[in-house]
Amino acid sequence: MSDTEPVFIGFGEQPSGRYPNRPFMGDLVRVGAAAVKDADLTMGEIDTILLIPCLHSPADQADLVFSRVVEELGLNKKVKAQYMVHSGGSTSDNTIRTAAGLIESGQAKNVLVLQAEKWGSAPVKEMIDMLTANGIPREWEKQSGVSFNAVGALIQQRYMHESGSTPADMASVCVALRDWANLNPNAMYKDKKLTVEQVLGSKMVTDPIRAFECPMLADGACALVLTSRGNARKLGKDRVVRIAGEGGCVSHYSIGQEREVGKLGWEIAGPAAYEAAGWGPEDADIAEIYDSYAAVLTSGIEGLGLAPKGEAARMFARGEFSPGGRLPTNTNGGLLSAGHTGVGGGTALLTEGVRQLLGRAGPERQVEGATRAVCGGSGGTYMDSQVLLLEGVSA
Amino acid sequence: MSSSNDIGMDALTEPYREALRRGEFVVQHCKACNRDIMYPRHLCPFCYEDDLSFTPGATTGILHSFAVHRVGSPSGFEDQLPYAVGIIKLEGDVQFLARLWPDAEGDWGQYELDGEVVFRAADADEMAERPVPWFGLPA
Ligand SMILES: [Zn+2]
Repeated sequence: MSDTEPVFIGFGEQPSGRYPNRPFMGDLVRVGAAAVKDADLTMGEIDTILLIPCLHSPADQADLVFSRVVEELGLNKKVKAQYMVHSGGSTSDNTIRTAAGLIESGQAKNVLVLQAEKWGSAPVKEMIDMLTANGIPREWEKQSGVSFNAVGALIQQRYMHESGSTPADMASVCVALRDWANLNPNAMYKDKKLTVEQVLGSKMVTDPIRAFECPMLADGACALVLTSRGNARKLGKDRVVRIAGEGGCVSHYSIGQEREVGKLGWEIAGPAAYEAAGWGPEDADIAEIYDSYAAVLTSGIEGLGLAPKGEAARMFARGEFSPGGRLPTNTNGGLLSAGHTGVGGGTALLTEGVRQLLGRAGPERQVEGATRAVCGGSGGTYMDSQVLLLEGVSA
Repeated sequence: MSSSNDIGMDALTEPYREALRRGEFVVQHCKACNRDIMYPRHLCPFCYEDDLSFTPGATTGILHSFAVHRVGSPSGFEDQLPYAVGIIKLEGDVQFLARLWPDAEGDWGQYELDGEVVFRAADADEMAERPVPWFGLPA
């Protein structure tokens, strides 16, 4: 592998959940400082900052765009460029693509990726209305009253129809993620158990989705540091994470325009990524795939070849994706149980993938010998299916 | 719910909404390539011409998926609960989100995916407030 190849060398994370006393900018600079330290860099060596947007506040979003983070981190006249990439829940994937291109081309040396969100502390109704206003054609389809839960429900209804999965099968997806969250000290639901019976006993919110199958809005923050492989070696890093392959598909804007709501764009996104990586879904050690509703995850798992078509939910019910299962999946608890940190839900999954491949997920949660991760993100009304295949390697 | 429209959009939205208020359902049609388009666009997404007009839509479609709101709704729909939305596919390869009438039991349990649904207009007041097509089970 060439010296210019981009690699992940550090990460930082703040616990997800409701933390009204943790200010937005405070979270950003704390995870940033933690990730830079973890990378064995000094802050002054960061030359590019890529920002993942926040959804809780236009004012905080404007602060991000207009380089407040640079100033808060004391990097005035030290950073070459700082800007935002935005594609909703798939932003982390697109941001990493951008970082990788900058490093590979020599336009950036050390890139800091920063994300923070205050969804857990923001007024829920306002956030739900904002979500509903986004990704739904306001002149044509908003008038149907479709809510964000309904977007997940449309996907789940179709997925269940095509696969013959039962409500209990779908509930078991949420339970598997909760079991993972119980092992993650940074998860919103780190100490709350969940059973299939509890899920099925919770009230119907938007058929076929019940209350315990909806993601909870959370505060959270993540940061990642990327550099070139040559530089990582100079820093004395022994293990780094490389991007073995990537692929994507933008399948729609409005869920009303998705031709196959039970499938989305995963089948189109996967093949190019596997071909570039030189390995296939059968070689994956872990998967970290966007999961704001159970069927969003099962369609991703199947579309990326990690389960036979129509079988993913039943495989969840058999524990195949749970702790100790055949293919550990969403090992941080996912959006459904680590917390839905807006655009950051995808970033948290990606951070977990990097953490696992660096062998740093802690004694309870670390998947032994994990070297290959299938990571997937999706934004808006699951408008796109983005996949990054990550590999843990020696520098 | 606010019916405010985006700048310059009236020419596109009004004929569609006006048809719904009359109890009719129209879809956009491109005369240049003879294809139907939904939702309506500024340029034909197939041939990029702008020879676009509205034409009566098929009144029978196929239900691709649906969701029933029981708890929680966007602002302005609270008094509608419970209500259902569905993705309807029509001949001519168009699809869109629609409201679904309750079934004979007053719920939505009789709807089946890939089953037939038919356009059945809601009243003009409803269409003035929330202009969107309503579909129901065949009689
Ligand atoms: Zn045309």
